[in-house]
Amino acid sequence: MIEQLEHDLREGLGTEKVFSDPLDLHIYGKDAGLTRGESNLIVFPTTTDDVVTLVRLASKHEVAVIARGSGTGLAGGVVATGEALLMVTSRMNRIEEVDVENRMVWVQPGVINQDLSNHTAPLNLYFVPDPSSQSVCTIGGNVGNNAGGLHCLAEGTTVNHVLGLEIVTADGERVILGGPSPDPIGLDLRSVMVGSEGTLGVVTKVLVKLTPDPPAVRTLMLAFAGVEDAAATVSGIIAGGLIPGALEMMDQGMIQAVERFAHAGFPTDAGALLIAEVSGHPSAVDAEADLIRRVAESHSATLIHIAVDEEERKRIWLGRKSAFGAIAQMNPDYYLHDTVVPRTRLVEIIKEVYLIGERHGIPMLNVFHAGDGNLHPLMTFDASQPGILDRVHAAGDDLIKACVAVGGSLSGEHGIGLEKRDYMPLIFDEVGLDAQARLREAFDPEGRLNPGKILPEGSRCFDFGRPPPVGAWI
Amino acid sequence: MTVLDQDRETLPSTRELSPRSIDEAAELLSQLPAESRVHIRGGGTHLGLGYRFEPDVFLSTSGLDRIVAWEPDDLTVVVEAGVTVEELEGTLAEKGQTALLHERPGGGTVGGAIATATSGWRRYRYGPIGDRVLEVTLISSDGRVVTGGGRLVKNVTGYDLPRLATGSLGSLGLIARVCFKLWPLTVKSATVRVASAEDALARAYRPMAVLETDEGTSVFLGGTRAEIEGQAIALAGSLTDGLEWPDPPGGRIRFSVRVPPSHLRSIVQRFDPEWKYVAQFGVGEVTVGTDQALAAELGELRMAAESAGGALVLLDATDYLRQEFDPWGTPPASLPIQQRIVGLFDPGRMLNPGILPGRL
Repeated sequence: MIEQLEHDLREGLGTEKVFSDPLDLHIYGKDAGLTRGESNLIVFPTTTDDVVTLVRLASKHEVAVIARGSGTGLAGGVVATGEALLMVTSRMNRIEEVDVENRMVWVQPGVINQDLSNHTAPLNLYFVPDPSSQSVCTIGGNVGNNAGGLHCLAEGTTVNHVLGLEIVTADGERVILGGPSPDPIGLDLRSVMVGSEGTLGVVTKVLVKLTPDPPAVRTLMLAFAGVEDAAATVSGIIAGGLIPGALEMMDQGMIQAVERFAHAGFPTDAGALLIAEVSGHPSAVDAEADLIRRVAESHSATLIHIAVDEEERKRIWLGRKSAFGAIAQMNPDYYLHDTVVPRTRLVEIIKEVYLIGERHGIPMLNVFHAGDGNLHPLMTFDASQPGILDRVHAAGDDLIKACVAVGGSLSGEHGIGLEKRDYMPLIFDEVGLDAQARLREAFDPEGRLNPGKILPEGSRCFDFGRPPPVGAWI
Repeated sequence: MTVLDQDRETLPSTRELSPRSIDEAAELLSQLPAESRVHIRGGGTHLGLGYRFEPDVFLSTSGLDRIVAWEPDDLTVVVEAGVTVEELEGTLAEKGQTALLHERPGGGTVGGAIATATSGWRRYRYGPIGDRVLEVTLISSDGRVVTGGGRLVKNVTGYDLPRLATGSLGSLGLIARVCFKLWPLTVKSATVRVASAEDALARAYRPMAVLETDEGTSVFLGGTRAEIEGQAIALAGSLTDGLEWPDPPGGRIRFSVRVPPSHLRSIVQRFDPEWKYVAQFGVGEVTVGTDQALAAELGELRMAAESAGGALVLLDATDYLRQEFDPWGTPPASLPIQQRIVGLFDPGRMLNPGILPGRL
């Protein structure tokens, strides 16, 4: 089957787009998470027509299709669980002409997030979602995971910045969802597609919304003795009626690791660091920065510093985005977790994170999007140590259960993929999972698109319609 | 024997149900005969939307009237579908918060706002209503209680049923309860009368709204006093404290035209001078009200909107116009998928059957 598919793909797309060398399959056998699973073939399409061809051929030969961007995902969302064709979007990297008047542009899914904003910078426009991996992650991947980033507190995640999608359906049809006008008629399938991790269709073009550069920005670095004061400051800012563009927190371990690596000017003696950013009208940002300063003072901030120029502002954010690179100095491996809790439960969950780390003997460092309760505990370890991966998984398991216990959920921005799939019943009952499975079935009745992800097996567990009448023989 | 079986003998053929709780709504739906056609009704402000059908059961959400949980510090509120927009926003305002629902709801309910995807006029700054629907509880036509999303301002756990339900016109399930992301009300607000919407959009930095009506153009600002004063100077218009929202256009015929923002002027220019309208510049939507409009002139307008990638949707119409003019226009390209979704969520097509584009 695979051999025949490979033959047909080489014939249909050109042999330069199809790879099956064991080394290639190995390299593309995982994302940035822990799970490995190799596909049987790798295809690098360049056009939507290529994607139509490969989806139809895969369907004909009954092989699954997994779409993949740069592989920065952390949940095993692009890892094969059985016979599969891996479609890599990196050659689909064209940006069409920017519609400046309507502030939107169609891009192919393989465009790198940062490249898009660089491309539109001369027009004073940018694409809001800015995951820490934005210099390598793709727009298609952002769509697949509904990626967030450092500035989604006020501006929302990817779904708020995608107006339309061109997709290739499971049966190889090209369909446009959404578009340049507000509120397209019918069900909002564009929004449903965002965050669906390639299980509902293969995204071949994205109409993204661009946002004008804010006329003024103030970035504040606030240091505290501990995470409690920092978290109380976050609460105070929001209670004061302000939703800043970003509210990012780091704990002491993370501050020290980052400072050794990135030299961003972070105070290494601080127990917690809060980076707050406000942007907008020039006469608004100073008042807002002042409010943040006053709240921080009332919670015993040990340092309040406003970035003096754009250069310092960039250095602070580079430091924040370097958090994961910095870890390499401590241990060869890391596992970055992603869970979310109601923001007011942050302090108690952070304390729990440390306890879990101690219990399993795994150092835990913390960066988090504090404004929206999105935690990213980072476990560092050396994978060559025997038994360590089991401990990492056990700690992750404890962490997820702790977050769910306080009203949280499995993922804030990295997705469910393979690694969190079996936790879904902690959040949704069987009726809820069944409804999600029905939605998926409507898009992909044969289960060919990225199978095995998001929903645990057996989610589609109810029969159609109503129960038989009482007394009926069945 | 169920309550409904008993009632069947004594009630008229069209029944009215008004469940007092989600459990009761589920129970009632599960007991309806499979061939029922259920008309779900909230505040009754959008009854003209979509295709008509002959219901034999009316289900009112008016008994689902509780604000279930409000967490001001977490910026979330959980509310049942029958709560009116006015009541919810009035409550939230007590602590300086808002769900950014429509400013002139006219008796509309929260469930109706979700079902019809009715965004407020502040969407130019804050985005459409779907951006704030965090969790939804639907009751399926066979009485299952389905919850999707979560009570968290940021969450990617599972498929986005809240956004699927937003604009579904109740065709997937009765929208019984929702959780909204909240925003703080701005410290100050003001309305600035200006001469030109386009000029205002170019001069103002992210105002809440730029609305042009048949009577004039206003920019709606929110923020600190200094920001509002600064923006008003840039706009060179006359400033009034507070938000003076226009009246939504009335009339026996009402419709909405949605186009890419830059096409809105060319749409408005085609209007009959008698028509009342509110055009949201920067957003690309205009709502029109009139007592008289010909199918032919609406047809031309629809053609202009659709050729720009938009739509013309009837919100209310005379029976006469309905016979000659389709309420939705050209169905979306994804119709086969939409058909399968509706078919899998409500296999017997009991809930608001045939109301959606493509008569789904």
